[in-house]
Order: sequence, then structure tokens, then C-alpha cells
Amino acid sequence: MKFIVSSSYLLKQLQILGGVINNSNTLPILDNFLFELSPGKLNVSASDLETTMSAVLDVDTDSDGSIAVPARLLLDTLKTFPEQPLTFVVEDNNTIEISSNHGKYALAYADGAEFPKAVELSDPSSTSMIGDVLATAIGKTIFATGNDDLRPVMSGVFFQFSQEGLTFVSTDAHKLVKYQRNDLEASQVAEFIMPKKPLNLLKGILAGSETEVTIEYNESNAKFSFENTELICRLIDGKYPNYEAVIPKENPNKLSIDRTQFLNSVRRVSIFSNKTTHQIRLKIAGAELNISAEDIDYSNKAEERLSCDYQGDDMQIGFNSRFLTEMLNNLNSDEVSLEMSLPNRAGILMPVDGLDEGEQITMLVMPVMLNN
Amino acid sequence: MESGFSLRKIIHVDMDAFYASVEQMDNPELKGKPLAVGGGEIRGVVSAASYEARKFGVRSAMSGALAKKRCPDLIFVPPRFDRYREISKKVRAIFYDYTDLVEPLSLDEAYLDVTENKKGNPSATLIAREIRQRILEEVGLTASAGISVNKFIAKVASDYNKPNGQKTVNPEEVPEFLESLEIRKFYGVGKVTAEKMFKLGIFTGQDLKAKSLEFLEAQFGKSGVFYYDVVRGIHRSEVKPNRAPKSVAAERTFSDNLTSEVFMMEKLEKIASELARRLERHQISGKTITLKIKYSDFTLQTRSKTLNYFISDKSLILETARELLYQEKMQNSVRLLGISLANLNTGGDEDKESPDEEKTVSVQLKFDF
Repeated sequence: MKFIVSSSYLLKQLQILGGVINNSNTLPILDNFLFELSPGKLNVSASDLETTMSAVLDVDTDSDGSIAVPARLLLDTLKTFPEQPLTFVVEDNNTIEISSNHGKYALAYADGAEFPKAVELSDPSSTSMIGDVLATAIGKTIFATGNDDLRPVMSGVFFQFSQEGLTFVSTDAHKLVKYQRNDLEASQVAEFIMPKKPLNLLKGILAGSETEVTIEYNESNAKFSFENTELICRLIDGKYPNYEAVIPKENPNKLSIDRTQFLNSVRRVSIFSNKTTHQIRLKIAGAELNISAEDIDYSNKAEERLSCDYQGDDMQIGFNSRFLTEMLNNLNSDEVSLEMSLPNRAGILMPVDGLDEGEQITMLVMPVMLNN
Repeated sequence: MESGFSLRKIIHVDMDAFYASVEQMDNPELKGKPLAVGGGEIRGVVSAASYEARKFGVRSAMSGALAKKRCPDLIFVPPRFDRYREISKKVRAIFYDYTDLVEPLSLDEAYLDVTENKKGNPSATLIAREIRQRILEEVGLTASAGISVNKFIAKVASDYNKPNGQKTVNPEEVPEFLESLEIRKFYGVGKVTAEKMFKLGIFTGQDLKAKSLEFLEAQFGKSGVFYYDVVRGIHRSEVKPNRAPKSVAAERTFSDNLTSEVFMMEKLEKIASELARRLERHQISGKTITLKIKYSDFTLQTRSKTLNYFISDKSLILETARELLYQEKMQNSVRLLGISLANLNTGGDEDKESPDEEKTVSVQLKFDF
């Protein structure tokens, strides 16, 4: 078994796949890349049992075989090479020998058969979209997912596909993001919850990419295929909370304001807020928004005034400044609207401009009750 | 009778087997059959039993399993409180045709003070008859009534000719009525007090009347004064329209006993939402949160905490309940959990807050998933 491959090409692919490998694995075989060779092709896989990603590389070979190569050692070596062809030769003594312009390196390998097989998706439904669109959908939602082990469903992003459009939802029970694409559609109605890790990997790979991504899914798994790469992962099992029910329908108080200005003010004022609650207070009267925070323990206090467009009754509402910052930061619009009803009901943050055709973003944040 | 006290005319109206009768009215198939309204025969509790079921010894607050044992043909029906509330409203509307001094005790009972009434009818007995007749005609249910000079006697009397009857205790009959009354029938004397009275040789009103105030006070404390007065026909409690609740509570019995606090928190969240809903409906908030824990061996434990501000919000209630839950180790597996809120802001002592209560408290609210 022997193949020749460009060092930088191999490194680039392995670095992408390496994102799947956990730092500490209970199964030692998972510290390896699986190399599956067939004439002209090298299929490399990495897995953490939940997620398996693989890529097909064009290499110069006419042999077959399957071996598992230590990932860390290989990556560390490849990183140091300038671009050059590398020759991999599998020796009889369970080592693989790499020959470069500089010399020879031998790594112990394991039998490829020990590597866990990726699941096959039986009877999948499918849809497809542009890579960057998927990356954007992930980017807009993933920050709002939760980390509560008791509510595993909230630790992922909820994908809701139908003929009318695709919807992506995430929430940690304090904040919620609903990202909709009405310009896309799926062949069948489907709902599933994607775990965070594969989504982060996909986001990293697909950001800015114009390639088409095919998504196949059934009740337990999803598969994302694009170019030479495939990612298969297990879905989060369980029922996603009925998020539509918590989106307030009647929001008579509408604030509209420059996003950057608002974000900068919130950031500045929040430095003076209580270190555990991060609470800031919005007081809106007429066309003026007053943002204030105080930390009684240290007698720190800050207050800023911004002009805004406001329709509704004068009101006061408290928010966790971290949530507000994260959400404002995640939007790209010049202007945002914040719709509210009561100081104990969720505020709805939406971009006013800068959306693509068919794109819709709704962010919800629950207030902090001000008690005095 | 004591002087300086103008005689009142009080009616106590008590609907007959209210929940069960409503169910029988709405579902004619249930008519004439033994019926229990409540959470089912496995672990539920009977909240009301029809008269057919009572013949078998089925009583409210009895466990579903025991009720089924006593009456194997017993039919269990889940309660529909919205419906009972609706009917109760209709019944109350009739009361208000006679007087505004109506004190509802629950959905199915109320005191009416008809000393001065809108119809100008001097006879409370006739008013009671008319009210019962109208309830039967307009609502379709039977009620019983007690008529007398105070709430206590009216309440005891309404039980006399139940169901579908009434009993008047005229002022001159009061002493005799009370003297001959069995001690168990005294309103406010429960099983425990009754047993204690029996031990002291008190079996009837007459026996009670023979005891001195000092003796009763020594035996029963504050309640002793109440017993002393009440047997002499003195009960000064007025009919208070719109009596404010003293506490609001929600609780739940589980189909399986819970052992882990993690699962209990899940349940508490549901209970807290229910409590918050009730608080919102009554537009009240309170300061004292009590966590009620009934263990699998039926022992009851309560843990409470008083805050220095009023709360009514689910998250705040849950936060405090959680603290109480983890305050101490559970003694056993848990059968029932409940949260109640007392020290309500209806008491009018809202402005008695001390200055150190200025401390701001902020709570991050959550979506109600």
C-alpha cells in the first residue's frame, strides 16, 4: 500500500477533519484518522462517535487498503513542511513510512477495521442550500443555544423544514433566536435538533462558500455533503419546546434605534452593572432612551441617553446586558427595532434593514425583573 | 342572648354534593349512580362524592383506592373547575338579588346577611326557601340552607336537613339548639378536638356550656374562648363580602414517588406556573413561600421562607421554592409537593416595610416552556 500526495493539500484537508477529534478519547482508536485507499483516491475520516466527517482526496496510487494513522503526530509533522510531494508507504512491521525532500518518518498505525463505522442513513429525506446560507443560519442561531444538561434539546439548534421555508431556532430559555429563510424549501416537512459541535464545524468550513450543500436526514441522523466532504452526525433526541407559544403577539411599545450606537452604549454602561446579574435598565420616555446600570456593592453607576424612535407608553424594563450585547452583536443591520409589552414579558429584537430577500430574524430576550 | 347586639338574620347556603351534582346534571347517564369527582382510583383523592356514593361511605378527601374498595361500582370523573366556577357564579348572582352581604366560603357555600334585604322580606326562612327554589329552577341543582342569628349556627343548621332541605333556628330556640347539639357537629371542632372533648367528658353543647371560661382556655387556648362564646350563641363574625384569601396554593400528587430533587424541580416548575397563574387571576402577591412535602409514608413537612418583598412571578417563586427544596435532605421518597404563598398584599400591611428592604433584587426571567 503506497500513495503520493501534496503536503499542503493533505494538511488542509486533515486540519478540517481534525476538528472532529476530541482532545481526550475513551476509545484510543478515535485519536486516529482513518485512511481508506482505492486507486486514485484516499478517503480520510475522523470521528468522535457522535459525529463522523470524511473527505475524498485525489492521490497518486494504484493500491487498496485501510489503516488508522495517529492524528496528532501526523498533523504536527505536516505543519512543518513547505509544499512538496510526500510518499506514504505502508510497511509490514505495522508502521507507515513518510518520505519527504528532507528525510523519512515512521509512524505506527492501527488496523483500519478497528475504526468505528459511520452510520448509514436509511430512508432519508433531503434538501439543499448554498454553503454560506447554512453557515449564516448557524451563525445567527448557535450563540443562543443552552448548556443545561437537564434540557439537552436546548443545547442544539432546531431545524424546521417545510415547503414554505426553512426555520432555524435556538434558545437557552432566556434568549431565543428564530432565523427563517422563506426563499428556500424542503421536499418534506421535517423537524430535528442538531447538536452544537457539528454545526460549529460546518459553520467554519462553509462560511463564504458558494458550494451547494445537500442535507439528508431521518429521525436519528443527519448528513451534510458538499464538494469532496461528508459529515454525518447523530441528532439530539427529544421534543423541542413549543417556542412559538412564548413569542408575544401584542407588543404595543416599539423602539427603533441605531444598532451600533445602542450596542456601544449597552457595552459601556454594562461595565458598571452588577457583576452577577449584569442587569441594565432601559427607561423609555418620548423619543429618549435612558440606559443605566448600578452596582450597589461598589457604588458604581452609569447612565446614558440616546435618542430613538419610540411609539408606545413610557416604560422601564431590565435586561441582562450580556444577552443584549450578544444579540446586537450578532446582527448586521444599521438599525434595530425592540418591541415590548410589559416589563415581565420578552422583548423582541429585529433588524430593520440589511436582510437578504426571504431572510427573517426574530430575537427574543426575557427581561430581568427590576424590583423597586 | 347578649345585649347590645342587634339580632342578625344569617343564611348559610350549601349546595348539595356540588361537584358531583354538576357532573350528573351535565351528563344524565351519571344520574342516580355512585360518582366521585377526583383524580382517579389509583392515587387520586375524592374531592366530592354524589349522594349515591356517600351511602357506601365514600367521603370527600378519601383516597381513590379506599373509595373504590367501599363502593366497587364507583365512577370516577375528572374535576372541571371552570364549569363549577361558572355555575357557582350563577348561584351567587341569585344571592345578590337579595343582599350584597354575601360571603362566599368556597364555590359551593356562602353566608348571606339578610337582616336588611333588597326585597324587604322580613322572613329569612322564606328568603331561604325562595333562594333554594330559584337555584333549582334557574341552575337545576338543589341546595340546603341554615337560617339563624349568626354564621356559626346557620352553618350547623344547614347540615340538619341536607340534602335539599333547610332548618331555621329562631333566636329563642338558640340556647336549646346549641345545648342539644353533639360536640362533633360544632363547626370548628375537628376529629382531634372532638376526641379531646370526649376525654374531658364533653359530648354535647350542654356539657360544653357547663365548663368555665378559665377551664376551656386552659385546655384549648385561644379556641377555648371561641367555644365558650359560641355555645352561648355568641359569634361576632360578620358576613364579610369578598373575603380575601389568606393564602394561595398549588400542589400535585405524583403517580410515582419521587426520590431525586432533580425530578422534583421539574414538578415544582409546573406547580409554580400554576401558582403564578392563580396569583395573576386574583391579582395578588405575597411574601411567605411555603414548600409542602408529603412523603411516601404520608408524613407531612413544610418549609417556609418569608421575603421582605412581595412576589407573584413564577421565576421568583420557583427560585425560593428551589432554595427550600435543597435546604434539607429528603427524609423519604416524596408523594406530593406543593407551594403556597401567604402574607398576601391584600392584608393592607403593605406599607409597613422597613427601610433595609430597599435592597434591589433582580431575577432573570425565563421562557415558560
